[in-house]
Amino acid sequence: MNFQKKHCVAMLLAGGQGSRLMVLTENTAKPAVPFGGKYRIIDFPLSNCVNSGIDTVGILTQYQPLELNEYIGNGQPWHLNRSHGGVQVLPPYARSKKSEWYKGTANAIYQNIPFIERYDPDYVLILSGDHIYKMDYAAMLRYAEEQDADCTIAVRTVPIEEASRFGIMNTNPDGSIYEFEEKPKHPKSTNASMGIYIFKWQILRQFLIADEEDPTSENDFGKNVIPALLAAGHKLYAYEFQGYWKDVGTIDSLWEANMELLGTDPAFNLDSEKGGKIYARNYALPSSFIAKSAKTVCSLIAEGCGIYGSVSHSIISTGCTVEEGAIVEDSVIMPDVFIESGVIIRHAIVGEGCRICRGAVIGGSFAEHEDKKISVIGKNKTIAANQSVKPGEII
Amino acid sequence: MTTTMGIIFANIYDSSLGELTNKRTMASLPYGGRYRQIDFSLSNMTNSGIRHIGIITKYNYHSLMNHIGSGQEWDLDLQEGGLEFMTPYAADHNASYRGKLDALNSAMNFLRVAKEDYVVLVDSGVLCAIDFRALVEDHIASGADVTVAVKDGISNGVKQLDMAVKVDKNSCVTDIAVDYCASKDYLASMGIFVISRELLIREVTEAVAHSRYRFERDLVLHGFANSGMKVNAYQYGSVALFNESTAEYFHNNLALLDYSVRNGLFRVPNRTIYTKVRNEVPVYYSENSEIDDCMVADGCVFEGKAFHSVFFRGVKLNKNAMVKDSIIMSDTVIGEGAQLEYVILDKEVVVRPGAKLCGTYDHPLVIKRGETV
Repeated sequence: MNFQKKHCVAMLLAGGQGSRLMVLTENTAKPAVPFGGKYRIIDFPLSNCVNSGIDTVGILTQYQPLELNEYIGNGQPWHLNRSHGGVQVLPPYARSKKSEWYKGTANAIYQNIPFIERYDPDYVLILSGDHIYKMDYAAMLRYAEEQDADCTIAVRTVPIEEASRFGIMNTNPDGSIYEFEEKPKHPKSTNASMGIYIFKWQILRQFLIADEEDPTSENDFGKNVIPALLAAGHKLYAYEFQGYWKDVGTIDSLWEANMELLGTDPAFNLDSEKGGKIYARNYALPSSFIAKSAKTVCSLIAEGCGIYGSVSHSIISTGCTVEEGAIVEDSVIMPDVFIESGVIIRHAIVGEGCRICRGAVIGGSFAEHEDKKISVIGKNKTIAANQSVKPGEII
Repeated sequence: MTTTMGIIFANIYDSSLGELTNKRTMASLPYGGRYRQIDFSLSNMTNSGIRHIGIITKYNYHSLMNHIGSGQEWDLDLQEGGLEFMTPYAADHNASYRGKLDALNSAMNFLRVAKEDYVVLVDSGVLCAIDFRALVEDHIASGADVTVAVKDGISNGVKQLDMAVKVDKNSCVTDIAVDYCASKDYLASMGIFVISRELLIREVTEAVAHSRYRFERDLVLHGFANSGMKVNAYQYGSVALFNESTAEYFHNNLALLDYSVRNGLFRVPNRTIYTKVRNEVPVYYSENSEIDDCMVADGCVFEGKAFHSVFFRGVKLNKNAMVKDSIIMSDTVIGEGAQLEYVILDKEVVVRPGAKLCGTYDHPLVIKRGETV
């Protein structure tokens, strides 16, 4: 079979369990977690690829891959159903000599060297499937080419007091990286790595093989591969990204990122005119019906919903029903949730397919300055009539 | 196992919808917030296992082809069978049809090379979620030459029907009338017919050879009255909306605000209606918006007020604007303080701030696609 050469191939790390998302990732890989009413987290890096002209994407899956595989399908929603390239889901597989799970981020790419080789790429873009942002990878690639960098790492500026939570890139005035510190106690700079790398393929290949041969390595990009490249004197550059970016790896950050979609000029705008269109697999649902009894303010409501109750400052995803007399405030309701009358939901994330029965009360109210304790209901749960779910409780 | 193919006529009734079908076919007329009328015929066919479909269209078919594309949304992008467009250019002799028989005659090769036993023929003006499998089974069981799907409660002595049928207690057809303002005891043809492919080829060839071009009059009625053709009427019991005039189109859109109509069209198990995807963002309802009793498609941004209306995709309703009893198609912008009542805004219309547009329930005001008012 003939494979067309590709200038840049993207590899999307989608194997993480996302255990800090608790019940939301019990049976779902983190990249497949619903976001913003009709999207899933993986739609953001995938759409960014398409909007950046990258048409060959390998998706590395491992944890609970069924739903994610089904969601990606042949890649058609992202225009990635190509004869040459397109999207390919890459689970770990048994080899003749040995078979193993992906041991780390670098090992996952190492195991898929044959996939990348088919396209004979000049560059490989490494992405992760748990961030919400819009980014033009083509601009980053141009920067990598201009600097003739062996490795380019996207960074964003974080407040100095938070810098010790991130991988920090210490750079020279020309943007070249002289030091990488993983979660430093005393950070020297505020350039936090976003986990987005562009490597020259031939160099990455060589380092992946060396890393694999090192039994002490954790086979991780941040911990092992990047430091090894630096130690060997390769040219590493930091690419500064300005714009919205959010790691939605925790309940609080997932809730916050959803809330940041609200408003007439939201912190993160899904609109295609603001940094590109986000594509998603769309299901055949009719328009939403907003009844006379409904109140809908400061909210995003997706297709296929029937709203009869009161919804404010919330995200209501596809296929939900909010019955008359129910109240939903400051909450994220994932797809296909049925909320019966008399239910009150405040500061909560309700997982896909839940049924909240008559009179149940979920979560609570908080003053402006208070820490908001988000209640979470896992996928496909039923909350009994008049049951009470406390603020911060996870079911 | 019997096999069935489909033929969809895209242009029937174009002229009775005035401005709305000025630049598009009846089949590509937007309906219900996110659909085109042809979505119903195509979805009904694929949901009934019909995988070989010809679409006959004579003019204004650009928007139709654009909408359907490869047919992928309906799982019709197939190597074998799938969708075929039959435009006037594909016809070998004349550039415009004089009737459905003439159109079928132009598509004769499509019919001849097909292998299916039966053909379901569908117009684009009646919206329903019908099971064509049950229809074909009823046709076969009846032993009739032609079966027509019919609906009660449509004929009223005023509305002109393409074809009306009277049946006796045993559901046997006792009378057929065409182009007729039939009284209430007649059943209205839904423009849906079943006939065996071989008989269709014979009848079309015969009719056209005798300068007879109209399907209802010259094939069904003529056969029934003159040559002993056995006609079977299949009574459809669920929701069927006849969009054959501007007023009907207007009323039938607003009818979706009724739960039973909405459910009868969109929530029938295994009868999902598919349409083209647009990747719009969810609808945003701002602080001061007031939306009551409305159907709302994705991509809208609401800052104003709306009551008892249908909004298509990507509508911007600005502050203090008020929309009542109206049909607002995709990508329209309604300026601050504008007031609309009994209006159909076609796609991409811009309503200036403060404008007042008003029609009546039976004569809605139609604003042409792309106009600024």
